[in-house]
Amino acid sequence: MTPPSNPSAVSHGTLKTVLAQLTGRRVAATLITAAIGTLIVSPIFETPLLTLLARAVPIAMSLLFAFLWADQWHGRGIPKWAMQIMAMATAAPLATFLAYWITSGGLQGFIAAPARVSGFFVITLACILIGIPMALGTMVRERDARNHSQALDLALAKEQLERQTSDAKLALLQAQIEPHFLFNTLANVQELVETGSPRAAPVFKALIAYLRATMPQLQKKTATLGDEARLARSYLELMAMRMPDRLRYEFALDEDVLGFRFPAMTLLTLVENAIRHGIDPTEGGGSVTIGAHRDPSSGVVNVWVADSGVGVQETSTPGTGLANLRQRLVVFFGSGSQLEFSEPPGGGLRVDLHFTPTTATA
Amino acid sequence: MNTKTALVADDEPLLRDRLVAQLARLWPELTIVAQARNGREAVEMFDEHNPDIVFLDVHMPGMNGVEAARCIGRRAQVVFVTAFEHYAVDAFKQGAIDYVVKPLDEERLADTVARLKERLADTPVAPPADIDTILQTIALQLKAQATPQARLNFIKASVGNSVRMIPVDEVVYFRSDTKYTLVVWAAGEALIRKTIKELADELDTEKFTQVHRSIIVNLSQVSHVQSGANETANLSLKGRAEQLPISRSYLHLFRQM
Repeated sequence: MTPPSNPSAVSHGTLKTVLAQLTGRRVAATLITAAIGTLIVSPIFETPLLTLLARAVPIAMSLLFAFLWADQWHGRGIPKWAMQIMAMATAAPLATFLAYWITSGGLQGFIAAPARVSGFFVITLACILIGIPMALGTMVRERDARNHSQALDLALAKEQLERQTSDAKLALLQAQIEPHFLFNTLANVQELVETGSPRAAPVFKALIAYLRATMPQLQKKTATLGDEARLARSYLELMAMRMPDRLRYEFALDEDVLGFRFPAMTLLTLVENAIRHGIDPTEGGGSVTIGAHRDPSSGVVNVWVADSGVGVQETSTPGTGLANLRQRLVVFFGSGSQLEFSEPPGGGLRVDLHFTPTTATA
Repeated sequence: MNTKTALVADDEPLLRDRLVAQLARLWPELTIVAQARNGREAVEMFDEHNPDIVFLDVHMPGMNGVEAARCIGRRAQVVFVTAFEHYAVDAFKQGAIDYVVKPLDEERLADTVARLKERLADTPVAPPADIDTILQTIALQLKAQATPQARLNFIKASVGNSVRMIPVDEVVYFRSDTKYTLVVWAAGEALIRKTIKELADELDTEKFTQVHRSIIVNLSQVSHVQSGANETANLSLKGRAEQLPISRSYLHLFRQM
């Protein structure tokens, strides 16, 4: 068995994740900011600059850690950015207090010195004034980067979809102008013409309708189910001329569905598939039924093509047309549309298509 | 010159009529002794009438023209009629086998008639000895075009009263139950009789992989893998809540590269 081409990441605990977020760039930015902040507030203090720095560095690192830790917040109710600000606002006095406690040699030494208490307030304030705008800036930058990457993902998905659609169109193009179909049909028409058969005129009409629809319809985006049913009928008339003893067909489309927009060539693909892979391989032939019905309560339309032919084996290869069909339906009707294959009781293949109509153009 | 006989086989009646009418114009002495609608009928009628010439459409339901010709062998002059079988036409040309193309061109058919008359003259020319080898190659090629591969492409499953054909590409995973195998796809699930082992042999290994003694998953449906205790892991699926276990022996498939 082949390993998957894109092995997914294995997730770790929160602490590990936070540590992983602690990149060199972030640490460096924090340390530089702490140093600049210390330089700015140092004239207020009597304390030597180095002692101030020794206090500022662990405080700044705790703030960074609080920021990253709250970044793991996935709970409901409170947004992540608020959690991060709150975590920093809590961490600032706590870390400063701890730093003073340690450098003052215990709680007594800290409280006893008013200069240290006021220093505590100044540093806490500085932390909040510098740290929180910096955190907000980071969040905005991250959001922009995320939006940018989402936009890229979206553009990629869209491009992929467009490419698949054009591939489907190409496959259709090749399937439609199939020389075998065209030359066989023309050979039949030739016989009708040369024997002066009255059937020649209607058959010509069907052939012209078929050719006209299959060629420019590739660019046409607003076919209706009615248009598609007419195209399927032209095709079946041609096939019935060619195999009169082997093909019967029946249309059972409700009147109220004919005006709905429908992806061009989709119904024809199903009907051609029913003939080519269902009826034509059998010596005795069979029947094809095309139906459409709209459920009045749900509004969902069911279009089906059923044949009594050879049916589908588990090892049958779905034709290019069928393989592309679902994609085209999703592009056209959205992901709620469904395509189902089933075997009717007497054998053969039935394809059911369910969709919620977009707009009625009738 | 004694009268020659011919059999015409084509599944499309108008095309049989046309060939018969054209032959009547070009070769009035030729008697059409039978008309067949498929390869099987052609062989049966041939055995009954023993005609000198057989016109066989290549594409016919059931037994095709090439297969029918193999049954007839060298007992008659065979002429193939074809609309557009690229490969067959090339092969006929190379094997010096007679063929005409639909829609029939009367001049081209006249050439064929002249050649047939020549071969069936007082000293008849038998068909080439290696004809069966050539026909066998063509028959195999035509068959290969009709059924490109024997991979599993649909899963047949009973859903309610109907028999559903589920394209394998839509299957999310297979999981064996005590007696049956559960097949799960985007729009539903059903029990089938095929075992996980059978499925593992028949499915395309580029798309499906076994991750557990009782589970085969569609790789395109995997969203991510989470490692658990004891060298095991769980597999999450795109847009689905349930997770599937991966057993130790299959875990290497999901290791980071």
